[in-house]
Amino acid sequence: MGKVIVITSGKGGVGKTTSTANLGTALAMIGKTVVVVDADVGLRNLDVVMGLESRVVYTSMDVIEKRCDLDKALVKDRRVEDLMLLAASQRNRKDDIKPEQMQEVCEKLKEEYDFVLVDSPAGIEQGFRNAAAGADEAIIITTPDVSAIRDADRIIGLLQHQGIDSINLIINRLSPTLVKKGNMISKNDVLDILNIDLLGVVPEDTGVIASTNRGVPLVHNDGSPGAEAYIRIARRMTGQRVPIPEMRDDNFFSNILNWFSRNK
Amino acid sequence: MDFRSLFTRKSKSSNIATQRLQLILTQDRFEVSEDSMKKLQFELTEVLAKYFEFTMNSVKMSLKREGNSYVLMADFPFNQSKKNR
Repeated sequence: MGKVIVITSGKGGVGKTTSTANLGTALAMIGKTVVVVDADVGLRNLDVVMGLESRVVYTSMDVIEKRCDLDKALVKDRRVEDLMLLAASQRNRKDDIKPEQMQEVCEKLKEEYDFVLVDSPAGIEQGFRNAAAGADEAIIITTPDVSAIRDADRIIGLLQHQGIDSINLIINRLSPTLVKKGNMISKNDVLDILNIDLLGVVPEDTGVIASTNRGVPLVHNDGSPGAEAYIRIARRMTGQRVPIPEMRDDNFFSNILNWFSRNK
Repeated sequence: MDFRSLFTRKSKSSNIATQRLQLILTQDRFEVSEDSMKKLQFELTEVLAKYFEFTMNSVKMSLKREGNSYVLMADFPFNQSKKNR
C-alpha cells in the first residue's frame, strides 16, 4: 500500500508541476513505483513538462465517467521504469469532478503504487479541494517571496483543517547570492515564518527552462544543482536520512568576504 | 560580525519582507485588522506597565504556528520591575 501526496502551493508559477515531474521521476529512478496525477483540469501541463503529451489518450475524467479502466488511462513514461502519468481532461472544468471521485481514483492507485503524486492547480477553490481530497500527506512548494509565502501559509491552514497532519515544505528557486546580498528571504526566515518541516531546498537553476522546452525533467540532467536537490528530496521521501546542505554562494567576491569574516 | 552589515542592515529588503510577512500573516491567521492588533498590544502593555517599565515601541507581537494550532507570541522587553526600584 502506497501513499498519496498532494503537491500544492496556493500561488501559481512557483514550481508545482516542475516539482511533481522531477520528484516522480527521481522516485522511479531509485526503484519506487510511481504515478503522477495531473489535477489541473482544463489547464493541464504535467504531460507537457514530462514530454508525454503525444501519448495521452485517456484522462482521469474518462476513468471517473467509466469510459475506460484506470490501468488503461495511465501513460507509461518513456525514460524510466515504473513511472506513470494520469492526465487531466483539457475539455472539462474543475468543478466537473467531485472530491469523492478524485479520492476514489487515488485510493485505487495507491493500492498498486508506492507513490501517488498529485499536481494541484493554483488557488484554494474546487480544483485545489479535488487535488487534496485523497491525499495522505502534502508537500507545499513556495518560493522565497512575500506573495508565495503568504499563500503557502493559507494553504497550510486549509490542509490542517482538512486533517492532513504530514505537511512538508520545499523552498524552490532559492538564490544563495541574493540571500547573501540581503535581497531574498533566507531559508531560515521562511521556516521561522511558516513553522512546518522542511523537506528540501531547490536552488534557482536556469536548466529548468531548457528541460521544460525539451520535455525532459531536470533530474535526467546529471550534476545540475536543481537535479541534485530533487534527487536528495526524493531519497528523503523514501525515508532515507539525507542532510540538507547549506547552499553555497557562487559569487566569488562574497566567498572571499565570507572567508575573511569566518577567520576573524 | 560581518562588517558589511553595519552599513546595510537597516535597508536590506529581505529583512523588510520578513517583517511585513510576520505582520500580514498574524492578521491573516487571526482574522483581525491591524488596528485591533495595535489595540490589543496597547491594552496588554497597559496591564503589564503596572509592574514593569517598557519602551512601548519595543513590544512585538505575532501569531506562530505550532502543529495544528497557533500560539500568540508577545515580546515585552522590560528594563526592571517597578517593585525593585
